[in-house]
Amino acid sequence: MTPSASATAAGPMPADRPAGPWLRAWRRARGRPASAAGALIVLLFVATALAAPWIATVDPIQGDWKQIRKAPTWAHPFGTDDLGRDTYSRVIWGARISMQAGVFSILLAIAVGVPIGLVAGFYRGALDQVIMRLTDAWLAFPFLILAIGLVTIMGPSLTNATIAIGLGATPTYIRLTRGLVLAIAAEDYVHGARALGAGDLRLMTRHVLPNIVSSLLVQATISIPIAIIAEAILSFLGLGVQPPAPSWGTMLNTAQQFLETAPWMAWWPGIAIFSLTLSFNLAGDGLRDLLDPRDY
Amino acid sequence: MLEFLVQRALISVVTLCVISMIVFTGVRMIPGDPARVMAGTDADAAGLEAVREKYGLTDPIPLQYLRWAALAVQGDLGESIRTREAVVRTVATKLPITIELAALSLIVAVGIAIPAGVLAAVRRNTIWDVVTSGASLCGVSIPNFWLGIMLILFFSVRLGWLPASGFVPIWESPLANLQRMLMPAFVLGTALAAVLMRQTRNSMIEVMSADYIRTAYSKGLAGRVVVFRHAIRNSLIPVITILGLQMGALISGAVVTEQIFVVPGFGRLIVEAVFTRDYPLVQGVVLITASSYVLINLLVDVSYSLLNPRIRIRSSAGDA
Repeated sequence: MTPSASATAAGPMPADRPAGPWLRAWRRARGRPASAAGALIVLLFVATALAAPWIATVDPIQGDWKQIRKAPTWAHPFGTDDLGRDTYSRVIWGARISMQAGVFSILLAIAVGVPIGLVAGFYRGALDQVIMRLTDAWLAFPFLILAIGLVTIMGPSLTNATIAIGLGATPTYIRLTRGLVLAIAAEDYVHGARALGAGDLRLMTRHVLPNIVSSLLVQATISIPIAIIAEAILSFLGLGVQPPAPSWGTMLNTAQQFLETAPWMAWWPGIAIFSLTLSFNLAGDGLRDLLDPRDY
Repeated sequence: MLEFLVQRALISVVTLCVISMIVFTGVRMIPGDPARVMAGTDADAAGLEAVREKYGLTDPIPLQYLRWAALAVQGDLGESIRTREAVVRTVATKLPITIELAALSLIVAVGIAIPAGVLAAVRRNTIWDVVTSGASLCGVSIPNFWLGIMLILFFSVRLGWLPASGFVPIWESPLANLQRMLMPAFVLGTALAAVLMRQTRNSMIEVMSADYIRTAYSKGLAGRVVVFRHAIRNSLIPVITILGLQMGALISGAVVTEQIFVVPGFGRLIVEAVFTRDYPLVQGVVLITASSYVLINLLVDVSYSLLNPRIRIRSSAGDA
């Protein structure tokens, strides 16, 4: 976006002295402080999710009947909820659920979508037509409607919500992969490899796939925040994580009933979602600039 | 041109067929016996059998699908288990509310996104660009249901300016209707605005670097004239496509927004139908949603080719 960013994003430049990977990363990060901060916050959330039992020492499930809907204090920095549970603990543990749903659903979408897109783009013809018509139909279901439908079929739970979100995101990856493969399979070096006797599988895995990884990575940084919000929405509607598990979405659902008496219940889970998705998007913007030097 | 339209329409028909199959199979995959749901919990074996006979549930699945699809094409999507009202009727009463909400949020979105996007592109790499791009990034990142809750907290609970929820039909009291629609429309509109703004900025930047714009400048036209008379028109063409593709997001957004603000529209109907296990209603509503998405995008494609003659020419040249 800024001239310096596009210069640093132009990929490995011939330097006087070969810089180490850490030094290069630091130079690039300095060019885009917002993206670097975003990436840092995402890592913090990952650490929070992993270290939840040590960061949040108060039990997120066990309520205290004497502490119902108490405003923030030193003992409960984010206040307590309608069952006297510590909101801080629940927000920390919620990071685990959100990260799980966000990352695993997109991994699923990639695991299903990329091979299908690869085959469609590589072989083209009738198979491609069938796959693309199915993908079109799949895409016609709004993401959330599809997820709601799938959760209805499978029953509400974190795993099922993750699967539903992943399957909802899959057509995007089929389309993206197919488009990229169509372009790359036409390159001379692929023809060259084929002339040298490389089989289809080898061409796909060794020559085509490595060249689309960066685009897939960029798409993942766009999809993961959407998946995180989708999990929160499903849980908010009561179709995702079931109580008493601490999901940011279920917490907001409860909070809506107590807006007049306990507004803090609605602040923190939302701030958590917002800062996580914003950081992901910032980091993703930086990554996009790094991998795609076109200046937009 | 005609060939392009026919081809596009045929693809849409195929997509609609696949959609109907997915919906039909999906609903049959929901655990539970539909005969039991329709007959009620106190029905005996003979009663269940009678229901199965009546609705043809004993027939082979492909036959059931064809019967259902034939009725669906004629506009008969069965009746709700809960209210015994025809699904099409239920949808017809709920849909106008959501269409009003969508139209209002579209006004909000376009009203914010186009000026902001144009400003960001024209004043590229200035503080204006940074601020509008930052706002757009926040708009994409903020979960709209949380934004809704925060608006209720601020404008209804704290300030008491707007009613927190509920719905008044527009023909009863336009003012009360608008008061209750304002926050939902804003919530739904900002999410859309964020996406539209990015697209407007990008396509405006592209257009501004085109030769004809340089020509316009070198003719000595004022910057204002170039931007408003020459650049905006062309840069809005891709924005229209994005608008079509965002219809799905708008419907998803309506589901959540209507839930928060208790607006009795189409989105809330979907959630209600799922929770009450009203399968014919779920089936009908999902089918209508997906079909309208396909039709809207067909219309977008058609209007796109009307707006941009290059596409018509290219497609007919490609076909020849």
